[in-house]
Formats: sequence, structure tokens, C-alpha cells
Amino acid sequence: MTDIKYESKGSLLRPFKALAFLGREPVTEPMGPRPASENYRGFHLNDWEKCIGCGTCKKICDNQAIRMVSIPDLPADPVKGIRAERPAMDYGRCCWCGLCVDLCPTGSLSLSREYVHTCTEEQISSYFILPDPKGMHGQGYEKGWAKTADADLIDLERQPMHQLAPDERTDSFAEVVDGFDPQSALLEASRCIQCGMCHDACPSNMDAPQYIRAIWSDDLEAAIEHIYDTNPLAHVCGRVCTHRCESACSIGIRGKPLSIRWLKRYAMDQVGHDRVRDIVSKRKAPLPDSGKIAIIGAGPAGLTAAYDLALQGFQVTIYEGLPQGGGMTRYGIPEYRLPYNRLDDDIDIITSLGVVIHYDTWVGRDISMTQLEQDNDAVIVANGLHLGRSTRIPGSDHAQVYSAIDLLRKITLGEHFDIPQRAVVIGGGNVAMDIARSLLRLQQRTHGRTDVTVTTLEARDQMMAAADEIEEAEEEGVVIINSRGPRQCTVDKEVLTGLETVHCISVFDAEGRFHPQYDEDDLTLYGADMVVEAIGQAPDNDFLGELLTERLEWVRGRLKIDEEGRTSEPWLWAAGDAVEGPDVIHAIAGGHRVANSIQQHLASLRKASA
Amino acid sequence: MSDDTTPREGHSGYERLRGTKSIAEILETAMSFERSAQTFYEDLVDRVSKPMRALVKELAEEEAGHYAAFMALKADPAVQQQIGEQVQIPPSDHRFSDYIHLPALPDKPDDQSILQYALGREHAAMEQYQSLASEVPPGPLQDTFRFLAQEELEHKKELEKRYYEVVHSGGV
Repeated sequence: MTDIKYESKGSLLRPFKALAFLGREPVTEPMGPRPASENYRGFHLNDWEKCIGCGTCKKICDNQAIRMVSIPDLPADPVKGIRAERPAMDYGRCCWCGLCVDLCPTGSLSLSREYVHTCTEEQISSYFILPDPKGMHGQGYEKGWAKTADADLIDLERQPMHQLAPDERTDSFAEVVDGFDPQSALLEASRCIQCGMCHDACPSNMDAPQYIRAIWSDDLEAAIEHIYDTNPLAHVCGRVCTHRCESACSIGIRGKPLSIRWLKRYAMDQVGHDRVRDIVSKRKAPLPDSGKIAIIGAGPAGLTAAYDLALQGFQVTIYEGLPQGGGMTRYGIPEYRLPYNRLDDDIDIITSLGVVIHYDTWVGRDISMTQLEQDNDAVIVANGLHLGRSTRIPGSDHAQVYSAIDLLRKITLGEHFDIPQRAVVIGGGNVAMDIARSLLRLQQRTHGRTDVTVTTLEARDQMMAAADEIEEAEEEGVVIINSRGPRQCTVDKEVLTGLETVHCISVFDAEGRFHPQYDEDDLTLYGADMVVEAIGQAPDNDFLGELLTERLEWVRGRLKIDEEGRTSEPWLWAAGDAVEGPDVIHAIAGGHRVANSIQQHLASLRKASA
Repeated sequence: MSDDTTPREGHSGYERLRGTKSIAEILETAMSFERSAQTFYEDLVDRVSKPMRALVKELAEEEAGHYAAFMALKADPAVQQQIGEQVQIPPSDHRFSDYIHLPALPDKPDDQSILQYALGREHAAMEQYQSLASEVPPGPLQDTFRFLAQEELEHKKELEKRYYEVVHSGGV
């Protein structure tokens, strides 16, 4: 085809030049849209199966073109990091920059090759749409701009964490994990996309995005402020929290979740203890005496409730039977995971607010519940789960068969017991790992060699223990044997010789119910001069006394509480492991809950009597 | 597996079931088996502390429920045909209670002792009905035994779930 030169003009014959087109093939353009280039930034596509409703797209959108819309029929699970929301796009505002795609942690969002949309005046709201995989007009346009490795703004890899090598730690209770240095902490904090899924998942609703942002800004004192908004046991949770936040972290969908727990630890370790105490002390309101509260147990729930109530002007007294505070975090968790001087720091912050702790004081023996009821405006039971369960298999009553809970307490207290040459632990949870690794260290110190075997009913992928605990235990030399059920502790002439086990084919039935099945022909004996049972825990509620025990309401052997933690007695609340099961961050959440309930209850009483 | 406090439904009950001929008689034996357990738990209620009492009451109520179910089954005119339709061969069961041995129930038994006793009891009942099912010729009697064995297996599974919650999960 010959081009028509635009310079041509003026000739009388020019109109006849149109005759030149007569012989040409006509060109027809369709009225509808056609695909744009392969990398085009057209209307959004969203894969609802991948999308978790985190809202990162909304936060990154400078034009405020994205709004999160609640979808009632979608599943929501804060623990798993899923919200029943999906992004809706306002194409009156969108500039198709594609940042929403680049920062989408799941990769659910992309831009299509579709670009045409017209409407009448009445359909003007059709520019606000809820994208799905089929696109704006349901025509299934192909993806244009989508997440690629080059354009991905998400950092999928964690900053490495240095820890003691196995041979450096097996004869010592020194802390295994070193913690972040400032550079690593900053880089790790920079991975956070501030979606807040961690906040939703945390039982105590810790606002991790806030303190992570402060760490990223190198404002560690601001980070401490944010941490103490919801957690007065920050050193503890910076080390041994079960970190539900990390399980829900949206970065974890495609990569490694943020090391939120270690970031909290970093902030706490970097700011000096005295400075933390100063920061926290400013929170205490100059309130008149609000009342007297007694708390039974200086574990995480009791300490948290004490912290909250002390800040509100209450006189708080904790009665603790053991010589030091912390509950199971001290007497159940070994020092290589949680150095006790850090726990002491946490407790010191709380006592600096005026909380009094009477150690070595057993309620029921040294002071009665009746006395506590008479002397206080409210009483909180936070006694924990300090009794170990036994399998009660034959031979389990032998003197060399221990409860893991008892043995861990002995170790913390420094009480003497004969360190076994060979030990077998029954159980697959964190307590089993704790006692196995503790015994291994004591063996190395005492005998110069180690021999600890852990037998678990569960298969490897069903074990309750944290993955890093299992990994570290094996690095240190603990032998873990899965799918073995304890059958009997073997005894020869009154001497314990080992643990006989049977192969466990399956632990749960098709409906997920505990229904272990065994192969009776597959028996194995593990020789040992000590067997340790780490199968479960129970509360010791004898301190309540028979009369109060009868007056109280119970559910499945536990104190019955309402959603605020109130028992059936109007002066008595309960929180922590004994009523909610063993988990430090749940205990902290429970402590907050009962403190808030007591505060409101007493305020309403004062108002009524005024 | 048993002790002085265990009701004598084991071997003697087996012999009684072996001697029965009609489904009505079989159900009668099963009902007396469930009734004895209900009575046992009701007697136990006053021996345990209040935190345990709800559990024991629940067990007594469950046994009463089993008894009522058997009553309804017996009263159903189409019982033989219905049993034939409902019965499924229970999955193999490897004596779970061998690994959670029944202790002699003390004067003040705890929740674990009570659950272990109840588990052992359900297991004994399940094995009893399974054994009888394997010894009688195919037909309504065998179907009935299989049905009863399946019922006991289901009861046992529920107790195992409870046991897991109480013993292995810190009571939650």
C-alpha cells in the first residue's frame, strides 16, 4: 500500500486520488475489545481460592481505589490467617500501577489483558467491581501483568538466626538461640507487609505490625510501648510463645513467615531493663485505691492480670507456692529456651508497679480461700497445670518412672535425682522434647555420654511438639521413635529395665477422633534405667477445699467459667492453663480478660452504691 | 482388666449370651448389661468429688441411653430386617484397653481412672458381641451381635475422644 503524503495538498485532482483505494482489500475492526499485550495492565483478576482477604492490596493502593468487602458466605479463620473479605476495585480511581499485584502475598491478584469498559449514566457504579478469576465482564480474559519473581515485592526468605551448634550446647543449659543483631532485625522487619493477620490470630491480639514497624524505624522504645499494650511477659513471649502470629502470617503462604517472635525478643533485649521499667511505669494511672485483689499463682495468667489491675490502681497480691514466679514458664521450660534472668526481668516490671508476690505460700495450707475471700474484693485462680498425667501401664508405679512435669521442676529447683545412663521418654509434645533435651544435657555433664530415646504414639507429621524443637532435639542426639504405644515398664528383680512398646498403626479414626490402633505382633523393648511420662497435665485444685469445691460449678473436671472468666462464685475468677489448656499466650489473654472483668464488675458495684 | 469392683458381666454374661436363641433374649441380656453399668455409675456419683461428678453422671446417662436404645430396638416389629440393614462389620480393633490398663478403682477415683474403667468396659462388651457374632451362623442372630458390637465400638470411640481431651490435652 502506498502512503498518502500529508504534505500533498492543493491539487484539483486530489479528490480523484481516492480512486486508488478501490482495488484494496477492506479492513474490518470488531466493535468489542480484543486482548492487549501480554504484559498489559488491564482490569483486575482475583483468584478467590488463593485470596485470604488480608487487604494488603488496599493498604498499598495510594489512590485508595481498593476497598475490602465482607463476603458472608466465605470461610473465616483468624488462626489460619483467613478473612472473609475480598478486594473491590474502583476504576474511577485506579491508575493500574500494579502495586497491588506486586505486593499481593498470595499471588491471587493479577491484571488482565482486558481494557474496555463503557456504561450508560445509570450504570456509572459499574466502575466499582469485585474482581474474580473471570474478570470484569466474565469473559475469562487472560492474565496480563501478574506476579513474577522480578516484580514480586515480597521477601519470601527469613533472615537467618544464629544458634549454638549441637556440640556447643549438649552439656550446657545456655540459651540456644542467639537472637537478631540490629541489621538482621531491620531486614527481617522490612519483610512485614502490615496486613495484620498476626494480630487477628494472637489470642492476646498483640499488634505485631505496630512494633515491627517501630523496629523497622529503629525506634525500639516505641516498639516496647506497643508490646506492653497487650503483653507484660514480653521476654517470655519473645522466646517461648507458640507464635500463632507466625502461623497466620500472610508471607508464609508462599514463603517463610516473619520471625515475629524473634523480633519481639530483639526489641526487648536491645532496650535496657531499667529503661523498659521506666517506659512501663508511665502507664500507671494516678488513680485512687481501686480495691484489693488476690491472685493464686504467679504464672503468665496471674502475672498478666496483676499487671493490668496494678496499672488501674488496685492493690494486687499474688500467692505462689513455689519459690519463684513464672509458673510453668520457669518450672516447665528449660533455661536453654528461656533464661530465667529474662523471666525475672518480666516479673520485676510487674512488681515494680506495686504487685506483691508471696512466694513459698500455698493457698489451702498457708492461707485459706475463705480468708482470701474475706480480705479481697475479688480473687483470681490461676494455678496452672502442675500435675503430670501417667499412662498407668504396668510398671509405671516404679520409683524410676517419673512424670516429666515433676522432673522438670526438680531440675529448675536444683533438686537431686540420679541421672540415668539411659532414659526413655513417652510423649510427642513440647514437654517431651524439654525433658528429653534436659536429661541429655545432664547425662553429658554427669556421664560424658548421652542416651535418650523419645517414643511417640503419633507418626512424625502428627507430633504435637514444635518443628524446631524436634529438629534441635535430634541435632543434639535425642532419638525419636514414632508410632510406638507404651505397653509396660519392664522390671527385673525390682530394677527398671526399660519400656516395652507396640507399633501404633494409627492414632485417630477417619473422623479425627482419638482411636489408636495397634499391631500386637510388633513389640519392641527400649532398655532404660529411667522412664519419663510426658503425656499430659492436670490441675491440682485441692487448695479450694471441699466446701468451695462443692459450691463451684465444674465442666469436664475444670472450673466452669463464662466468657469473662467468672466462676459460679461472684467473687472468684479463673484464668490460664487450668481452665484453657497449656499455652502461654492463651494464659496471657486469659489474664487480661479476668482483669478487665473484675475492673468492670467492681466499678459497677461502686456506681451502684454511690 | 477387672477387679473386685467390676460388675460381673464378663465371662458369665458371655455364657448367658451364648445360650440365648432369639433376638429378644439377646437384647434382654444386652439391656441387663447396660443397666448394670448405669447402676454402677449412679452408685459412683456419690463417691467422687464434684469436678468428676458430671463425668460420672454423663456416663450413667449414656448407659441409660444405650438401655433405652435397646428397648426401642426390641419393641420395633421390624427389628430383624432393620438390624440387617444397619449392621456394618466393625473395623478391626486391637485391644486399645491393653494399653490403658484398668486400675482397681480407688475409693476416690479420678477422672482418668473412671474413663479407663469405662473404656475397658466398652471394650469388653464389644469383644463379647464380636465373639458371639463369629460363633453363630449367618442370620438375624449374627446381625444382632454385629450391630451390638458396632454400637459398643462407637461408644468406645466417644470415650477415647473424651480420654484424649482429659488426659492428653490438659483437660481441654
